[in-house]
Amino acid sequence: MAPKAKLKRTQHWMQTVILHPGTNEQAVASRKAQALVSKRLFPRLVLRSKTLDSYQRIGIYRDMYLARLREALASDYPALLHYLRDEAFTELVAAYVHAHPSRSYTLNRLGDHLPEYIRSTRRLARWEFLYDLARLELAMSQLFDASESPVLKPRDIADVPPEAWETVRLKPIEAFRLLAFRYPVNAYLKSVRDRTPHPSTRRENNWVVVFRKHYTLRRLDLTRPAYDLLSALVSGVALGKAIALAGRRRAIGEVQLFSWFRDWVANGLFQAIEYDQPIHQSGRARRTRRK
Amino acid sequence: MANRWKFPDLGFGVGLRTVHYASILADNPPVDWFEVLSENYMDTGGRPLYVLDQVAERYPVVLHGVSMSVGSTDPLNIDFLTKLKALAERTRALWVSDHLCWTGVSGLNVHDLLPMPYTDESLRYTISRVKRISEFLERPLILENPSTYLEFGTSTWTEVDFLSALAQEADCGILLDVNNVYVSSFNHGLDPNHFIDRIPVDRVVQYHLAGHTHKGTHILDTHSDHVIDAVWELYRRSCQRTGGVATLLEWDEKIPSFEVVHAEALKARQYRGLPAMEPKRAYGT
Repeated sequence: MAPKAKLKRTQHWMQTVILHPGTNEQAVASRKAQALVSKRLFPRLVLRSKTLDSYQRIGIYRDMYLARLREALASDYPALLHYLRDEAFTELVAAYVHAHPSRSYTLNRLGDHLPEYIRSTRRLARWEFLYDLARLELAMSQLFDASESPVLKPRDIADVPPEAWETVRLKPIEAFRLLAFRYPVNAYLKSVRDRTPHPSTRRENNWVVVFRKHYTLRRLDLTRPAYDLLSALVSGVALGKAIALAGRRRAIGEVQLFSWFRDWVANGLFQAIEYDQPIHQSGRARRTRRK
Repeated sequence: MANRWKFPDLGFGVGLRTVHYASILADNPPVDWFEVLSENYMDTGGRPLYVLDQVAERYPVVLHGVSMSVGSTDPLNIDFLTKLKALAERTRALWVSDHLCWTGVSGLNVHDLLPMPYTDESLRYTISRVKRISEFLERPLILENPSTYLEFGTSTWTEVDFLSALAQEADCGILLDVNNVYVSSFNHGLDPNHFIDRIPVDRVVQYHLAGHTHKGTHILDTHSDHVIDAVWELYRRSCQRTGGVATLLEWDEKIPSFEVVHAEALKARQYRGLPAMEPKRAYGT
């Protein structure tokens, strides 16, 4: 006689067995699984087929679970996979999804906790480098899905009255992320993508902005002053004060500033210029111009 | 025989896949329609949504999901359903489908189409869920028979009778995946013709066709190859009953060029008694 497993109990049992690490036999015999369906009753709940026993049949779902999540994380973290190689990456995935099982209907956000998992567990050799590498790849996967923003045009820049520059604020596009690293992970990622020899992975502070232009993800290496300036700007600091903050370590020349802004605007990093005070231009008062 | 809602026979479509984005936008291939994987577009403001908007402008679109978890004993995910409804409106989707399965409980998601025990209790419960979902979406839900790899000893219904009763009682449509019928029948030692012959034809809104991977002891529904002859024959047998409804070719692993996938979809014409259409003719080259 089949066990009187109601739908809820059956589903909780099956999920418990699928998520349990180890072998099929260990999963079915686990305390958590047996609290729902005893090992003795298992063959009567999951019937054998002509070719597979009950353990093998539930094992198909267990195998597919890990394979599917590994595929999703490999897609989001290709450089991490490249560095670790198949076996170590698969072990990382198994441990990670055990600690952070998916709670979403989409696999796109499955890897959101992976950098922090690498940092907090410190199990991997060179975990500090891999933590930085995972942070870079996570930023890219998150920006891939970010909302599209309007982009500041050169005309918008030209419209700013000279006296207003000191106090304007620049609003970045949605698909924008500033990152500071202790290891040269952007160069490493580039070498993986380009299939060129890998650079040194020794410690070296570096700064990167990741953004999306025309639906394509891009990365720009930044100097420390440029990173500081962008950091201040995206946190809402007015332009004049942001330049002063960024120039505390070393004064930033006008030529340098002009060059940065030309590149940043050309790359579409900003979506709007916002004014603190109403300005008068061409006989019209405009408080805030959001693109 | 027309389905009871008179959903149109859209002809022969293919699943919209990322690797084909560029060629679809550039070439405007002469495909009858596209099926879109709902979850890939519900939480993005990036390129996928941009491409989908273009495709929906040019072709008829239907939404097909894998995460509704119709049979789960967890509460319905209203956030998911809200986004799905919005996506259906945005794309002017002709219908919305998912699977007769569950994907997780206790707030977790296994990301697989897990089998239901076919019991009276499951049936009553699933009927109530499908009714609530259809009401929320303000359209009849279309449910697909999944490939399954195990059978519960507690089941008192066959899969086809369970699905048929569910469709009748919850007033939902059926997406008949002919490859899944073949896969599950092999895995459980059943006759696939029995399933094909018993499905209520007035509920069948759409077909799925796909390739699979034979592992010797069992078959995995991998969508990784051409449709095998035995599945084509099941499709022919079913079309003789339904008169033919919208047919969709799925290819999700080792995906070849768009033209190859489309050519595979067009093969369905001959099994439905329609004149063959070579890909070259379809593309006008």
